[in-house]
Amino acid sequence: MKLMRKAALVLAAVPAIVLITPVGSASAHGYVSSPASRSAQCARGDIAESLCGQAKYEPQSAEGPKGLKNCSGANDSFAPLNNDSLPWKVTNTGQTLSLTWTFTARHATRDYEYFIGGTRVGYFSGNNQQPNNPTTHQINLGGFSGRQKLIAIWNISDTVNAFYSCIDLNISGGGGTTPPPTSTTTRPPTTTTTTTSTQQPPAGGTWAANTSYAAGATVTYGGSSYRCRQAHTSLTGWEPPNVAALWEKI
Amino acid sequence: MKRLVIAVAVLALAGCGGEAVVPESPAAHGHGASSAAPPVPGASARFNDADVTFVQMMVDHLQLGISLSQVGIAKAESKEAKDLASAIDVTQREELTMLKSWLKLWDKPEGDGANLHAAHGGQPLLDDKVINETKDKSGAEFDQVFLNLMTGHQGAGVEMALTEKKDGQNPEATAYAERVVTSRQGQIQQMLKIIGGV
Repeated sequence: MKLMRKAALVLAAVPAIVLITPVGSASAHGYVSSPASRSAQCARGDIAESLCGQAKYEPQSAEGPKGLKNCSGANDSFAPLNNDSLPWKVTNTGQTLSLTWTFTARHATRDYEYFIGGTRVGYFSGNNQQPNNPTTHQINLGGFSGRQKLIAIWNISDTVNAFYSCIDLNISGGGGTTPPPTSTTTRPPTTTTTTTSTQQPPAGGTWAANTSYAAGATVTYGGSSYRCRQAHTSLTGWEPPNVAALWEKI
Repeated sequence: MKRLVIAVAVLALAGCGGEAVVPESPAAHGHGASSAAPPVPGASARFNDADVTFVQMMVDHLQLGISLSQVGIAKAESKEAKDLASAIDVTQREELTMLKSWLKLWDKPEGDGANLHAAHGGQPLLDDKVINETKDKSGAEFDQVFLNLMTGHQGAGVEMALTEKKDGQNPEATAYAERVVTSRQGQIQQMLKIIGGV
């Protein structure tokens, strides 16, 4: 009976789909998620939202015209990504580096380019096809060494735009001078936020975000008590009253 | 203006996918504990086209996310990834029930992924083929593919929800959009940490 009803609904739906005028602009978005690009670090909470701006919510949207050499795509909402003085985490690497992209939609791809300064150290054709999941590239860092900013660019093929992602590297094994030891470590997260690890909840304590809850755990929230139905790490937006699937009111 | 155009295009494309078949949740029926699950929040009758499009697109988006979660629950190696897949599965089923009830209340069709895509010319991240291909992977490689896809898929949900927050009118739908933004951002944060080994 339920199935019949669903089928009827679906049938009814076909002629009545809401149409939106197709727009020729890019809607494929993407960023380098591994090693964590500046965008990924914003989304991961390594850098405070007050410093990152919109990149916290849309790490995939640093979009701009092709041919730029910056981290934001010259997109004002993402300008903080160009700020070299923010406490970005630096990835230590040898001369070979593997990078993985995360896409929110798969648009036909012209190519991918990787730059250090003005030098292109990596190029991969996209053959105007949809990218694979995931898309991983191995590049050779061309003898560069020490602290460098790698600009990763995804040039999509059916609009004028590209997506930009910057990765901070500390490269060893290059032809240049060895970097001083002080620059080889990740900067201390003085201005970074909150939670790099989850906490164990006190039994029967107040619900908190970024906490690992086992099934059966009890918490209080807004004056009510709840029992965890499904093991999970809590987060903002999953407050007990909002997710009966995770929290049973007791 | 450019952002607006992009946002509209994103709404049109980001969340769509093939026709995902959502298996019935064992929790969805068979126990009479109606006190455990509060009634589905209703949506008031004031709404605009942006609300309807958002909810229709989210129905499809949630179904695809649930399908991918199912594979994650079955195959993820890391406990964190598996727990997150389970939590996404149950929360999105709950959201799906709510959104379908809103469409009924508004007398609007659910639509289906294929038609939404045909209408918008989209190239979604997920479809049945992409989801099925993940089943060929195993171990750490599976986790990497699963987390990468889920991170992207939930990111597309954030884009749709941001558009709804801007253009929508219905108070419940826009409040839901806000929860989508924060909860998906939180999930992405967790997944990027697992991916990065942090």
